[in-house]
Amino acid sequence: MAEEKETKSIDQGTLELIEKAAKEGVNTTFDRAESIKACPIGSVGSCCKHCGMGPCRVPLPKGKEETPEDKKKRRGVCGATAETIAARNFIRMIAGGAAAHSDHGRGVAELFLEVAKGGAPGYEIKDEQKLLQVALDLGVEIGERSNNEIAADIGRIALGEYGKQAGELITLRKAPLKRQELWRKLGVAPRGIDREIVEIMHRTHIGVDQDYKSLLKQGVRTALADGWGGSLMATDLQDILFGTPAPILGQANLGVLEEGEVNIIIHGHEPLLSEMIVTVAQEPEMIKLAKSKGAKGINLSGMCCTANEILMRHGVPIAGNFLQQELAIVTGAVDAMVVDVQCIMQSVQTVAECYHTKIITTSPKARIPGATHVEFDEHDALKSAREIVKTAIENFPNRKGNIHIPDNKTDQIAGFSHETINYLLGGMFRASYRPLNDNIINGRIRGVAGVVGCNNARTKHNEAHITMVKELIKNDVLVLTTGCNAIACAEAGLLVPEAAKQFAGKGLAEVCETVGIPPVLHMGSCVDNSRILIAATAMVKDGGLGDDISDLPVAGAAPEWMSEKAISIGQYFVASGVYTVFGVTWPTTGSKEVTDYLFKDMEEMLGGMWAFEPDPIKAAHLMIAHIDKKRKALGIDQARERVLYDMDMRRELDAV
Amino acid sequence: MEYKIKKTKAPGRDEVELLGATFEEGKPEGEDMGKWRQKLDSREERLKYLENGERYFYSQEWFGSEKRKNPA
Ligand code: SF4
Repeated sequence: MAEEKETKSIDQGTLELIEKAAKEGVNTTFDRAESIKACPIGSVGSCCKHCGMGPCRVPLPKGKEETPEDKKKRRGVCGATAETIAARNFIRMIAGGAAAHSDHGRGVAELFLEVAKGGAPGYEIKDEQKLLQVALDLGVEIGERSNNEIAADIGRIALGEYGKQAGELITLRKAPLKRQELWRKLGVAPRGIDREIVEIMHRTHIGVDQDYKSLLKQGVRTALADGWGGSLMATDLQDILFGTPAPILGQANLGVLEEGEVNIIIHGHEPLLSEMIVTVAQEPEMIKLAKSKGAKGINLSGMCCTANEILMRHGVPIAGNFLQQELAIVTGAVDAMVVDVQCIMQSVQTVAECYHTKIITTSPKARIPGATHVEFDEHDALKSAREIVKTAIENFPNRKGNIHIPDNKTDQIAGFSHETINYLLGGMFRASYRPLNDNIINGRIRGVAGVVGCNNARTKHNEAHITMVKELIKNDVLVLTTGCNAIACAEAGLLVPEAAKQFAGKGLAEVCETVGIPPVLHMGSCVDNSRILIAATAMVKDGGLGDDISDLPVAGAAPEWMSEKAISIGQYFVASGVYTVFGVTWPTTGSKEVTDYLFKDMEEMLGGMWAFEPDPIKAAHLMIAHIDKKRKALGIDQARERVLYDMDMRRELDAV
Repeated sequence: MEYKIKKTKAPGRDEVELLGATFEEGKPEGEDMGKWRQKLDSREERLKYLENGERYFYSQEWFGSEKRKNPA
């Protein structure tokens, strides 16, 4: 039993709560992952249910090589081949992921426009610097105009990018010039965000696009519309409204919950409402109300990407990542869990019913039966936030006892936006990526890896994340992180400068110590993967490491991925020229052709390609091998000895 | 952002102005910790910072590694 339990998480507090849930008869995702077997045909992309003649299952023959005859038989009722079916399934995942990120971005753009027009009290333009930056990106006139006038134009243009029908997304122009040319040449430069997503749904309908290469190309185009479009815009507009992240100290893990206080967990993805809850929870009337109910105060914490958003801007602690959401409720100390969109398990409600926790849904797009619904109204956001905080406070006296909050929390430093990295490396007078590039060229830093993505109940919680990241930094690879990987790294104590000395290789540790940064830089939520794209572009533009992202000694990974968003992110990393390794499972192995196209042919086409390796150490070594390959191509693979020439040596040189 | 200027005598010249330290002394604490962007306090300064600090994207003259071949 003890051994079985050990297989579920590397985190002690998580294990304690899994055990508590089991004792109290509470069913969690960890139990369901054991009792539900993943469908072996669907999981490799060999099942199609796109019409009423199916579902059609076209599995590879078991235990033997596929013969040409077998292959001919692997078709759906409509004649779709296993390749078409696998490619259709894969790009529908991209459509789902791109839609999620981009609809998040659209929500921000709508609020942004309202703020500019004065229709959203409580919100304001907090970061004029970023406003001007985005105005320059979108070609908005600055002059002597007020911030709100500039913002109104930005909001209108940003919203227009979603429904644009022709041309290409304006923000693609932020990419390296060579990359932009490549996208145009390949015909994958996205026209409008919604258009590319809709086109995937059309092409994957029965009887439309039946060439797997053509389908996968549309997947690339749509993923680019996510990374360089919808996600990038979400990040930029959030920065303008709430501030561009700068280094901030926070804490992480379930131990951030406080037994004597009203615990409110904000879970989900969008920072629009959570920003208001942060404000309201500090209001003296709310604190007074909490005290009147016997609590010492109000303790806010975050979960998943909302957590990353409010951590990066306010230092609000993080209670956990995706697989810890039910367990937070199992502590018995959570008075309300406020949710918006994405990665919220429906079972938080059933777990909550075993305790006193109130699940409060807030988005009209995401309802859960049994939950309390307080719809977020951007025109009166403070009112929605007050109603939510009050509901939590009033629920405090309903606690049922048997509370257990694990004694585990770690410090972390987050807030490494591209702008902040640039500033930290060069200072106010000459902000620059030069020190990073120089240290890559001189070999102190071997390369840079973006390690991101979810948790997956099919693997041990956080194990692959931490094993991979430790292996990378040990080998002098600087890690940029977002999403649930960032939370895992925080919980493992990797997001503090001291971690460099303890876990990083000598070269990376030296650089971290000099600049005063951790070896793993927390860049934000999953839409903030766009920050990694911009950081990579700045590295290219600074010079000395090639002309394109695909020349850089960099790699990407999502070792515990599970969501469609992760597939979209992975695909836009690949399409931007990054070698990207996923763990856990791979959704196209039912077709060798489709898998080869993603794992091999894409490198020729895009300079980046996919790889699959569930073992995190082996995956880290694949990334390091790729980084070394790029270092060799750049001619920086050999450490060059620096010789100081004295006068005699110089004279000798002159004589030659 | 205020520049610290020091006046000093230079050999063969009269008084010259020297730019003092451009880093901040001490360790920022509390609210200010890490909040570097607040140091820029006018639109002009912010735009200047973008052109210089974020020159990769916003300078007319700077194209970094791309300068050699394809000025945008
Ligand atoms: S679209 Fe073709 S393969 Fe898919 S379910 Fe219908 S008949 Fe089967």
